Order: sequence, then C-alpha cells, then structure tokens
Amino acid sequence: MSAAPSGRRDERPASTATGPGRALVAVYGIFALAASARAGYQIATKLDEAPLAYGLSALSALVYVLATVALAGGGGRWRTVAWLAVGIELVGVLAVGTLSVLDAGDFPDETVWSAFGQGYGYVPLVLPFLGLAWLWRTRAGTGPAAA
Amino acid sequence: MPGPLTALVAATSLALAAWALWFVVRDRAVILRQLWGGAVVVGLLVVQAVVAGVLLAQGAASPDAALFWGYVLTQLILLPLAAAWAFAERTRWSSVVLLGAALTVAFLELRLVQIWAA
Repeated sequence: MSAAPSGRRDERPASTATGPGRALVAVYGIFALAASARAGYQIATKLDEAPLAYGLSALSALVYVLATVALAGGGGRWRTVAWLAVGIELVGVLAVGTLSVLDAGDFPDETVWSAFGQGYGYVPLVLPFLGLAWLWRTRAGTGPAAA
Repeated sequence: MPGPLTALVAATSLALAAWALWFVVRDRAVILRQLWGGAVVVGLLVVQAVVAGVLLAQGAASPDAALFWGYVLTQLILLPLAAAWAFAERTRWSSVVLLGAALTVAFLELRLVQIWAA
C-alpha cells in the first residue's frame, strides 16, 4: 500500500459515515428518536388538538430518520438522499421556526422545530448546517487521498 | 422520584460527559475505563427505573405513563449505543459520540423529573 503524496486528492467522494460523520450520524440518530417518539405520542393521544403542528412533528421525524439512514449509508445513492433530507430539514426548521414565532396560534404545542429548536438547545437549527457542510466536505474530488 | 437518586444520575452522567469532553480536546478515542463509567450510569438508571416502578405501583405519583417510560427507555439505550460506536470508531469522534450520549442522558433526567412532578 503506497501512501499518496499529500497534494493528491481522491476523485471518489469520501464516506459520510466515518470520522466526524459518525458523530453527526449519532446526533441525527438521537433526533430521529426524539422526534419520532414525540410525534408518535402526539398523534396517538391528541391529533385533533393541533393537526398542523403534529403533522409537522411527524414530518420532522421522517426527515431526521431519513437523514440518519442516508448519512450512515456512507455514500453512493445515499448521498443524494442525504442532500435532500438535510436540505428539507434546513427549510423545515427555518420555516416552522419563523411561523411559530410569528403566529403562535397555529402552533399551540411544541414540535422539534418550534422557535428554531429552542426546546432542544437550538441544536435542530445548527444540525442542518453541519450536515450540509459535512456533505460538501466529503463530496467527490475533495477527500483525502488515502482512507 | 427521590431527589438524591436523580441528582446522582445527573451528576454521574455529567461527570462522564466531562471525561469524554476532555478526550475530545486531547484528540483521543474512548477507552474501556470510560465504558465502565458508562456502565455505572446505566446501573443507576436501572435502579432508578425499578424505584420509579415501585413508587408508581404504590400510587406515589401519576405521570403520563407513555411519556415517562419512553424517556426511561431512551435513557437506558443511549450509552450502550455510544459504547458500540466506541468499538467501531477508534478516533476522537467516538469521544464526541460519548459526550453527546452522556449529555442527552443528563438532559432526559431533567425532563423525567419535570414529567414526574407534572
């Protein structure tokens, strides 16, 4: 196994699932769990109280699960899925965050994305940026030459 | 729930988080001794679950059952998952995962206390 010169770059994309990616997958996993549990509980017990908020809760859960699986998938087609899921996540947290601040009436109960994820230490707001940055860094032609 | 027990759970998980943070800063992977530390936290969580079950059976409190046990279960699986991660990723990033898991356990402990009192 010959070590590549430091200047050389691999043409293939790096795996999204190792190194820092593993930590990212872990955080996504925790949020997938938290959002799914929250949505499941809300929908099972009080869907009619705030259908919009609980529907969005379910959507956020789906997005987190998808992003977790796609990032853990490491690359290939999963990379496209990961871009989509993390992109939707970013739009979701910004849209729901803004709406929940402007119009509390439609959001009587909390979702993970309410007030930009305030109830979760604003991690939901930071996470999509980390996800996009990580997908960008591991894209083709930029990874370290040797894995 | 008994205050001293929940305080102990929170303190041990935060101590584990601090230990993991130290390893992140030092660029080190999780070591076996930290996993034993995690086992202590999980042991306390099991004790806490049993105590909570007994107290609930005696009618000491009436928290939302699905919510309460959901949090208890989540707390129980986080550190074992982080431990599995530590074996798979022998870099500083396993320490980041352990840090995240330990902080989440402490955060869930706070929520448990709130749910219990509600």
